Amino acid sequence: MAAIEVSQLQREYRGGLKAVDGIDLQVQAGEVYGFLGPNGAGKTTTVRMLVTLLRPTGGRATVAGFDVATEPHQVRRRIGVALQEAALDLLMTGRELIELQATLHGVPSRDVAGRTQDLIGRVGLSDAQERRVGTYSGGMRRRLDLAMALIHAPQVLFLDEPTTGLDPTSRTTLWNEVRRLKQDGTTVFLTTQYLEEADQLADRVGIISAGRIVAEGTPEALKAEIGLPHLDLTFDGDADIVRAREVLTPLGEIRADTAPGADLSLGVREGSSAIARVVRALDEAGICVGRVELVEPTLDDVFAARTGGHLEGAGAGAPAPDAAR
Amino acid sequence: MTDPGFSVRVVLALARRALRNALRRPQFLAPLVLFPTLFLAVNVGGLNRTTTLPGFPVVDGFLDFQLAGAMTQSLLLGGVAAGIATALEIEGGYFDRLVASPIPRVAIVLGRLVATGATAVVQVTYFLLLGLLFGASVKGGVPGVLVVYLIGIVAGVGFGAIGQAIALRAQNASTVQGIFPIALVVLFASSAFFPQDLLSSPVDVVARYNPLSYIVDGMRAPIIDGVGSTSVLEGLGAATLVVLAAGGLAVLALRGRLRDA
Amino acid sequence: MTHNVTVVRALVRRALNEILRVPGAAIPGVLAPTIFMLGLSSVFGKASSLPGFTAEDFRTFIVPVGLLQGAGFTGAATGVNLARDIEQGWFDRLLLCPAPRATLLTGVVASAALRALLPAIFLLIVAFSLGVSVPSLLGLLIATVLVMGLACAMACFSVTLALRFRTQQAAPLMQIASFTGVLFTTSYAPKPLLQDWLRTVADVNPVTHVLEGVRQGFVGGVTWGHTWPALLATAGLIAVMGAFAARGLRRYGV
Repeated sequence: MAAIEVSQLQREYRGGLKAVDGIDLQVQAGEVYGFLGPNGAGKTTTVRMLVTLLRPTGGRATVAGFDVATEPHQVRRRIGVALQEAALDLLMTGRELIELQATLHGVPSRDVAGRTQDLIGRVGLSDAQERRVGTYSGGMRRRLDLAMALIHAPQVLFLDEPTTGLDPTSRTTLWNEVRRLKQDGTTVFLTTQYLEEADQLADRVGIISAGRIVAEGTPEALKAEIGLPHLDLTFDGDADIVRAREVLTPLGEIRADTAPGADLSLGVREGSSAIARVVRALDEAGICVGRVELVEPTLDDVFAARTGGHLEGAGAGAPAPDAAR
Repeated sequence: MTDPGFSVRVVLALARRALRNALRRPQFLAPLVLFPTLFLAVNVGGLNRTTTLPGFPVVDGFLDFQLAGAMTQSLLLGGVAAGIATALEIEGGYFDRLVASPIPRVAIVLGRLVATGATAVVQVTYFLLLGLLFGASVKGGVPGVLVVYLIGIVAGVGFGAIGQAIALRAQNASTVQGIFPIALVVLFASSAFFPQDLLSSPVDVVARYNPLSYIVDGMRAPIIDGVGSTSVLEGLGAATLVVLAAGGLAVLALRGRLRDA
Repeated sequence: MTHNVTVVRALVRRALNEILRVPGAAIPGVLAPTIFMLGLSSVFGKASSLPGFTAEDFRTFIVPVGLLQGAGFTGAATGVNLARDIEQGWFDRLLLCPAPRATLLTGVVASAALRALLPAIFLLIVAFSLGVSVPSLLGLLIATVLVMGLACAMACFSVTLALRFRTQQAAPLMQIASFTGVLFTTSYAPKPLLQDWLRTVADVNPVTHVLEGVRQGFVGGVTWGHTWPALLATAGLIAVMGAFAARGLRRYGV
């Protein structure tokens, strides 16, 4: 049984705006699924429907085996949620908040204190636990939010843009926590606008744009569809490019269109591990390599191929509609 | 999970949280008691001779007459404060977390109502002690005091439910804050501060149908008269009506918000 | 000097602008004293039949209270607005401009004096249409001066609080202070009818003189005996509160 099963899920607002326009996806138990898309694509709306905070206007979704529309109560018992805005009570201390969350999820009274301390230690907030949450930094609040999502050992964890706005250290801490959760067998549904995050953490990725899924698969498979990684080589002085071609032909696919500024572009299936072999072969042939640059297709390239737009940063191409929350 | 033990545990935990948070913001608590106290002092200090007016009920002093009005004013403000707290919770996002937890939906409202009831006990106690300190007495004795607490708590919870209903509909704190002056105006248009028979127009007409008149009279009777008076029953009835109506509104508002989400 | 006047005028204009741009925020302040007066006179109206009451009718007796409450609330609102400006950082920008601090203070306080006229005018229109007799021109003139003066004094007081606490959460403190100052006087009844403790407080409270100065136009007649204490009290309040505010401004950010 899949941990999350979504079929033609739809959310339409008054006025006809379809924030989510019929998506299908499946997440297996123990998988980390990355839901990737630009701002306004419908990621948050999808998550809010899956965690029973928003009612779908069409389609079906089951989480941990229960239907989100007809059995929301059963769903809530089995999921942990850390939304985009850390949903905290600023007047309470970290410890008080987690203990309350434990009570709300039915953790037996005798276990509440112990579990709370475990989780607080795990997210690195032991020293700050008696301080009011209002005094916590942004990174600390996110970590507390995560602890609250985990207090009842959920089967499925939903993280909505967990590292947006975080400093690099906090981001790494969170990534390690996700990896650890995967080892423990928790299913993680993660939305993000950062390619690197999806690349690093997800077993499979679903790319959403304007309320529709435009690509789905493992990061490697998706990128392979675009093309092989390639090495852009620049040689010293008056090196013999023809001879270089001869030397390199058995090592990869020489590309017809050489990248601007490079002398030769070589497609290499193995990616970065081919660099050593290529440089050695050229060296043995007496050809001096000036510069080697590995260029790999990214998920942004996948996105661009499917939609004409870009995921990160300013991009020409398909504008994403403003999806109301 | 309709296990009653769990539900009770959740409601108590949320009530504890509401009380703790209220105590952590004393600058919001003080006006609840301070303002009615000042108003009480000025009313008594300036107009205590009005007890000699023909038609004024027999009282030991104007203070005895005014206590119930001051209590009700404080309870009303407490209800608005509970609404503001709920609105801030919605604005801040913590409300979503409660909704996403496996608790009975109604516990979200009940928790705060229990806290409001507990606060009502403190508010009534404060004014009773204040009154005793300055020479008032409760004619109805211990049963009288219990009646005052009973009506006060029921009314306080009712006002809290009104505050929450407004917060759940408006979903922002400034709107709820705007209710403060309206609540005070409604209280003025009642027999809270002066006997109903001696009110001038147009307030006298409104006061006759204002449930606040009955609530205040219900709390006043044990102080100036005794527990046997019919006002007590009417007061209890009015307070219960407010709780039921407001409670219903609050639950409807909660459902509405969850559905429209 | 002309630069100072320009700055003052600009600050006053900004304060008045707020009313035009955000009328929703200003309306409660304009209506409140009127509503309070209507409420009080409907509830306690029969008190005027007490022996010793100096006015025919309770409403006429408390109209002056409403006028001063309008002044008090306007003064309090000035402080709240300043607290908001401080919280949002705009005040720092103001401090960076080359005008002397005394000018800034004058601008802020002068706006309060003008704004206090709004609730006052509204209150008088409602009161006159309900039958309260119109005072003589002299009475009205004195009342206007006193209302504007008290607004200045209250503005200085709340500005001091705003500079001290630097947060809008100090608002209830400012509002309760103005409310108390105006009510703990001969607000509800003439002095002989007050309870002993309140009579003592009223004797000590300078606002009592201000209130009597405003009331003389409506009840009894205008006399020098009532006017000079009122003017002196108002001037005194402005001097003292103004000194506090000036000191608070000097100390700000030090």
